Amino acid sequence: MISLTSYLFISLLLFLCGLTVMIARKNIIAMLLGTELILNSAALNFAAYTRFVNNNLDGHIVSLFIIIIAAAEAAVGLAIVIRFFQIKESIHIDDATQLQS
Amino acid sequence: MEYTLTTIAPIVLLPFLAFVINSFIVKKFTNLAVGISCAAILGSFVYAVRVFSDFVFGHFSSGAYIHKTFNWFNLNAGQHEFAIDMGIYIDNMTAIMLLMVTATASLIHIFSTYYMKDDPRYGRFFVYMSLFTAAMLGLVLSDNLLSVFFFWELMGFCSYSLIGFYYEKEGAGNASMKAFMTTRVGDVFLFFGILSIWAVVGNVTFVDIYAAIANDQFSNVYALGIPLATLSGLMIFLGTIGKSAQFPLQVWLPDAMWGPTPCSALIHAATMVAAGVYLSLRAFPLLEVGGLLPIVAYIGGITALGAATIALIQTDIKAVLAYSTISQLGYMVLGIGVGAYNPAFMHLITHAVFKACLFLAAGSVIHSLHDHHTHAHVQEMPRMGGLRKKMPFTFLAMLLCTFAIAGIPFFSGFVSKDRILGDALLMAMENKIFIVPVIMGFAGAFLTAFYMFRMMFLTFFGEPRDKELYEHTHKEKLSWNRNVPLLLLALFTFGAWYAGSATGQSLVKLSSARYEWFKTLVVAPDVIQFGTYERQALGFDDSLAGERDFETSKYDPTYGLSEEAAHHIHHVHHIGAIASIIIAFFGVFLAYLMYIKKALNPSWWVQTLSGWYRALQNKYYFDDLYIKGLIKKILLPLNNLLAKFDMGFYDRYAIDGWTTVNKVFFTASRWFDNKVVDGVGVDGTGASVRFFNVVLRTLQSGKIQFYILMIVFVLAGYIWTLKI
Amino acid sequence: MFNEVLFLLSGLLTVFGALAVVFTKNLMHACVYLLASLFGVAGLYLTLGADFLAAAQIVVYAGGVVVLMLFAVMLTGGTVKDAGRYAMLKVPSMGNAKTFSIAALGVLVALSMTTKIILGIGRSYDASKELPAFTSTVESIGTLLVTDHVLAFEISSVLLLGALVGAVVISRPRKS
Repeated sequence: MISLTSYLFISLLLFLCGLTVMIARKNIIAMLLGTELILNSAALNFAAYTRFVNNNLDGHIVSLFIIIIAAAEAAVGLAIVIRFFQIKESIHIDDATQLQS
Repeated sequence: MEYTLTTIAPIVLLPFLAFVINSFIVKKFTNLAVGISCAAILGSFVYAVRVFSDFVFGHFSSGAYIHKTFNWFNLNAGQHEFAIDMGIYIDNMTAIMLLMVTATASLIHIFSTYYMKDDPRYGRFFVYMSLFTAAMLGLVLSDNLLSVFFFWELMGFCSYSLIGFYYEKEGAGNASMKAFMTTRVGDVFLFFGILSIWAVVGNVTFVDIYAAIANDQFSNVYALGIPLATLSGLMIFLGTIGKSAQFPLQVWLPDAMWGPTPCSALIHAATMVAAGVYLSLRAFPLLEVGGLLPIVAYIGGITALGAATIALIQTDIKAVLAYSTISQLGYMVLGIGVGAYNPAFMHLITHAVFKACLFLAAGSVIHSLHDHHTHAHVQEMPRMGGLRKKMPFTFLAMLLCTFAIAGIPFFSGFVSKDRILGDALLMAMENKIFIVPVIMGFAGAFLTAFYMFRMMFLTFFGEPRDKELYEHTHKEKLSWNRNVPLLLLALFTFGAWYAGSATGQSLVKLSSARYEWFKTLVVAPDVIQFGTYERQALGFDDSLAGERDFETSKYDPTYGLSEEAAHHIHHVHHIGAIASIIIAFFGVFLAYLMYIKKALNPSWWVQTLSGWYRALQNKYYFDDLYIKGLIKKILLPLNNLLAKFDMGFYDRYAIDGWTTVNKVFFTASRWFDNKVVDGVGVDGTGASVRFFNVVLRTLQSGKIQFYILMIVFVLAGYIWTLKI
Repeated sequence: MFNEVLFLLSGLLTVFGALAVVFTKNLMHACVYLLASLFGVAGLYLTLGADFLAAAQIVVYAGGVVVLMLFAVMLTGGTVKDAGRYAMLKVPSMGNAKTFSIAALGVLVALSMTTKIILGIGRSYDASKELPAFTSTVESIGTLLVTDHVLAFEISSVLLLGALVGAVVISRPRKS
């Protein structure tokens, strides 16, 4: 039986995977992949809720915007990664510690 | 007249205000300061005249008085009551005393503008004089012994300052110390007396003391084995002995002549030494109840005779006057001792007038005799002589006053002294114990006449003994501040001012007996009938003005005694008067023989009585007794002993011993400071900051993944705890 | 029936794709697995009746974003050398007790969060409601975008412009 809980469960799994990727992998681009996963989980959440609880299309709109923003963010993030690579010749996350106190 | 703050307070406050103002401006505006001083005392004189005219011209009887108090402070707490009231007490005696003090003080102030004019500390003299007059007037107006004591001490301080006025001279410094210390001895006992009265009566207002005496509160109270009235009376009288230079504390007054002459005139002739007698007069009922009158009479007699003998050989004109002051004060005390309240007071007033005049005249003489070699003024009589041609006005004033002091009839001194001696004779007839004081009194009168006229003859008559000095003396001109005060004071040495009859004994009546005003207005307080007038609050309004129904004085010179008793009194007084006159003239004659006619040779007397002469020169060895005997032999070793105890034991152990304790505390607190405060507090704070820095620094690792992890943890924390 | 099957398949695809992204060593493979996961999410959208959303997801995300990632991977040299197990560089703190304990703590936190949320929702959710039928959402979404949500729409267009320009500016080679 499909219910809201199942969608939430899937979105939670997605979230946790995305979190793990963000925390555990050392490649900056991999981290961005994790970010995408997290965003997707959020969008799925919105869509599920709007179908099962609200019964209007606001959730769809929000998911749409999430997609838009994720695209923009991926573009800029990758531009930064490329810049970072141009400077540091590496895309290892531990090289990006210049804010260390 | 209304008795409010505005009519009475200026008497004291004007000179005090002058003192306060002058102490600031005297350096810069000396003449203004002098003017303020003189104006202040003249202002007090005006107010005193008001009071005097109200009482005396209002014919108030002797028992009338005005008593107004205000509460100074009270420390009442629960059941314990302790309040001190200050106030004024005005009766006929106060009124007359006020007038005398302000009048003589004003004239002396005016004279001082002449005498002290060339002194570099001209203004400072007036600062002290103003303070002194304020204190004396405060004392006269006081209604209780405590405020008398305050002003007493204040006058003692002023006397100290003024005696030591020429502080460059070592003698003046020593003399001022001596004066202060000697009177201090008396003052300590006076204070104890006040305290002992306080213990019995509850407060020390005169009215309450008289009431307590009337209520027999003093009987059956014993302290140190003697009745309390005797003890407190004796101690109060000791204050008088100190202040009025009686035997045995008379040593300070001759040395007080180191001060400027106007100061001697005001303080050591007219007012401060009179304050002692005034106190005894006020405390007279206490002395009576304590049975101290014989002691008082003896002390008075000894003083009168002893000082007169010392005055015989003095060569300094001021010294003669000093000893004569001591002698006349002895007469006043003798008068109190024989119960002659009114005559003693009268002698106080008349003595003040003529002694002030004598001192001022002596000052005038001294000022004119300027030695061009030593640039000092001459006070020694052996260098004077024949000055009456050069200083006629001074001579006239001095002559009149000498007549008064010697007891020549028709003069005030005769009136008062003769009345004292008459009353003494009366008392001696009743009580054999008073015979010796009487003899001393008469002998002293003889000597007084002798040495005073000796002084006059040596100074003003005969050939000038120091020709050069005589040539350089300027002829005296009548000036407002030199001669006029002298002549004014001398004017009041006539007996007619004080008694309706020229002799005070109704021997020669000038006018009806109704105007024996002095004799009848002031009598010893009758304690039984005392306290009949309402005690009011001293403020700005007088609710009873115009309603006081004081008894009018009946001017009855016999004080209401029976015909027979009055006749007996008259008879004895006549005998006394005739005896006084004979003695006085005999003294004058002897002086005349010795110094004018040169029929008797003083040096013969000196040689035959050489032992006595030496004793007189050493002032009966009193100074030696006190300085070598008492101070060097007793007080100084005691002082050394106490010093040794103080420094050897107390300082070493009690004071220095604290350093050891302090060292311990110091070590402990240093340890605490270093280890705990510095170590834990200060360094610890830094160390903890550093520690937490190391710990918390990891939060800013710069590693993005760490940040993300932290975000997740915090979010989890929120969800857990806040149930978002 | 179709709905359940689609749901199951899409769900499995999503989850396994995500797990694969976590565990592969190769970055390229990770991008492709992400692609698969996104396809699965699109399928889930379909089961929810969000047809437009599914289409947009595939077009933008799968077609655009992942391709972009691949480009970036290729431009920056791709994989990291010496990647140990789980594509992680061997760092000194790996295999450490401290690391394991923090990891365990993290797992605990995640699990507790999970149960709390899920149970909460499960308790409060009323599953007996009748759901409306599926309709086409394209027209409705279009209408909403220009009426109720026109502000966000316009801002997002500006955002995209900014992102575009920004990306170019940031990664422009500098004449150093």
